[in-house]
Amino acid sequence: MAFYTLGLTFWLVIALTVVVLGFWIYGLYFNFKKWGMGSTGYQDELRHSFWLFIATWIHEAFKDGIWVFVKTLILDVLLLRRTLRRSPVRWVMHMTIFYGFLTLAALSGLGLFMDIIEHFNVLGLAHQAEMVKGYMELPFDIFGYLLLLGATIGVLRRVFLREVRSRTSAYDVVLLGGVFLITITGFYAEWLRGNSFLIGDAFANPIYAPHFSLLHTILALLLFVAILPYSKYMHVIAAPLTILANRGGE
Amino acid sequence: MADAGNEKKPLVSGFLMSTQLMELDGCTRCQECMKWCPTFDVRQDRPEITPMYKIAKFRELLGSQYGLRAKLFGSKPLNEDEINKFSEDTYYCTTCGVCGTVCESGINTVELWEAMRPNLVARGNGPYGKQSFFPGLLGKDRNPFQAKQEERLCWVPKDATVLESSEIAYFAGCTAAYRQQALAVASVRLMNNLDIPFCMLGEDEWCCSSALVRTGQRPIMKEHAVHNVDALKDRGVKTVLYACAGCLRTATVDWPRWYEGYIPYKNVPLSVYLREKVRSGEVEWKRPLNFKVTYHDPCHNGRHLMHINGRDWAYEAPRDILKSIPGVQFEDMARSREFQRCCGAGGGVKAGIPDLALDCAKARMGDAQLVAADIIASTCPFCRRNIMDGRAAMPEKSDIKVVDVVELMTAAMGLDITIPENSYSKFQEQDVIVCDEEVCKVETVERKAEGKDLVGEAH
Repeated sequence: MAFYTLGLTFWLVIALTVVVLGFWIYGLYFNFKKWGMGSTGYQDELRHSFWLFIATWIHEAFKDGIWVFVKTLILDVLLLRRTLRRSPVRWVMHMTIFYGFLTLAALSGLGLFMDIIEHFNVLGLAHQAEMVKGYMELPFDIFGYLLLLGATIGVLRRVFLREVRSRTSAYDVVLLGGVFLITITGFYAEWLRGNSFLIGDAFANPIYAPHFSLLHTILALLLFVAILPYSKYMHVIAAPLTILANRGGE
Repeated sequence: MADAGNEKKPLVSGFLMSTQLMELDGCTRCQECMKWCPTFDVRQDRPEITPMYKIAKFRELLGSQYGLRAKLFGSKPLNEDEINKFSEDTYYCTTCGVCGTVCESGINTVELWEAMRPNLVARGNGPYGKQSFFPGLLGKDRNPFQAKQEERLCWVPKDATVLESSEIAYFAGCTAAYRQQALAVASVRLMNNLDIPFCMLGEDEWCCSSALVRTGQRPIMKEHAVHNVDALKDRGVKTVLYACAGCLRTATVDWPRWYEGYIPYKNVPLSVYLREKVRSGEVEWKRPLNFKVTYHDPCHNGRHLMHINGRDWAYEAPRDILKSIPGVQFEDMARSREFQRCCGAGGGVKAGIPDLALDCAKARMGDAQLVAADIIASTCPFCRRNIMDGRAAMPEKSDIKVVDVVELMTAAMGLDITIPENSYSKFQEQDVIVCDEEVCKVETVERKAEGKDLVGEAH
């Protein structure tokens, strides 16, 4: 299996993935517990509890009933209505990054699952798993381009809009830089492999292709999954939860 | 600012709800709030007063005490100068809520700022400037003007009818009772003319305590909320009418949080109630008001209540009244309704940072000048006062007058709004409508004595 190269074996990558996921889950727990330092209501006592944060959030999110919750989920979380109202450009940026990343993350998870099936020939399905990975190439490309579009808008906005640039901090750069780097390495890895969507064999290089694929995977694990709960990436989780807790906001 | 000699005090965050702590991480830093913030608009050199920066700073402070690094290696010592600076930035905000309206993440910013401030007060870093007088004044006098409670109704004309108890109550508020009595007289005359039986609380009407909530000084709030609610219940009231947006907001949102019992009445803006009278044909217009009028939406009646009362009550009722007055040529300012520009007085800014309040008011005057208005109408005595102050502080004299919707309506109905002479006549400071048989004009009444106003009005 050429993918596992540069001394990184299948087992090492799986172990790294498990560690990173563990760090990610702990980070989420840590943040929820930190939020749980607040009260459960106006003037209520403090209890510093992970579970009471969850309970408070559920109470707030469903205060106006299930219908308002569902409506908010669809219009404000999934379709980003509030962003669209303020700036169509930012809406395109957020939608493409959001759905691009979400789908690629899901496809990557599926890809890893297929890798495991293929590696252990689970139920004798190694060949089918390889075929599934082949089918995943087109959606990988399409959502990859969407993500690239969004990340590019994000970078251009931060670089060329003077006011936005002047108020950009390291907190923003880590997020956007990370997204951009992961996306670009993903594309380069894909192009090096050859026979890629829109590009064909223009950049094909079978020797370096596996290296870049692996590099991209490691970057995605470290620059996205691992640091998500500890950086601005956290807004990916906190912002939708906020919108839902405030029933769509004002 | 309060004394800073408390180096060992921990960071206090307990007045924030857990979902509000989550909101700090929900900010996407899109910078949209910075485009709309009325205080940043007049303090462009201070981006740190904007919502995005304040959220980032508080998140950073929290992180330094309770973040992963703090957990692994211990928390960093708090820098008092940094916290005092953050406190100042937090008080450089009128809590107008436009940032919440435009926030992509749906952060309820008004509630966030109002929950952040008590933490600073508890730690000794707040309130700011003269805001610290509020608890003492309200605790002692039950109003911010050091006025006598027994003189709450000293402005009521002798021939006016105010009942002892009734299903409808008119809650005048401190400013109308002591400093803008033209509004109070107009409200009473109007309701009498329309045969609306109503009562008032008189000396049992205590300040709504808006200023305490806005500035994070909560303790006396409960006394006032409970007292006012009980006083209204004792009179068998089912509908309370407010001509003051600040009182309306506090009575609708804040009092129920402090009152541990059933509240049997509903809070209604006077403009909404009067619009129904206009629609039902009960209002008889006697004379045209030939003015170009624009409307300034008070934050407290608009953005703060639109999600509770709906947009129609929040924004359309006063406009409908103005448009129905014969002769009035109505035009909205560029920023109106939920995107309105705050007058600059709220959130304790008028008391704590008066020059900031004035600069915001001047900006709002500029908005009115762009539509060439003769009159800025509003439904908030506090906005009115601050916009008038802003007008006086403008480098070039402006003839734009600032009048309440109720007073315009009263003048067009040909009612007498003469204020009976009383102990507070010399403290009156407002634009008033003066009419002869057919023609009305607006005159500015200057204050004749300083009074004991330590903090201006209190919202």
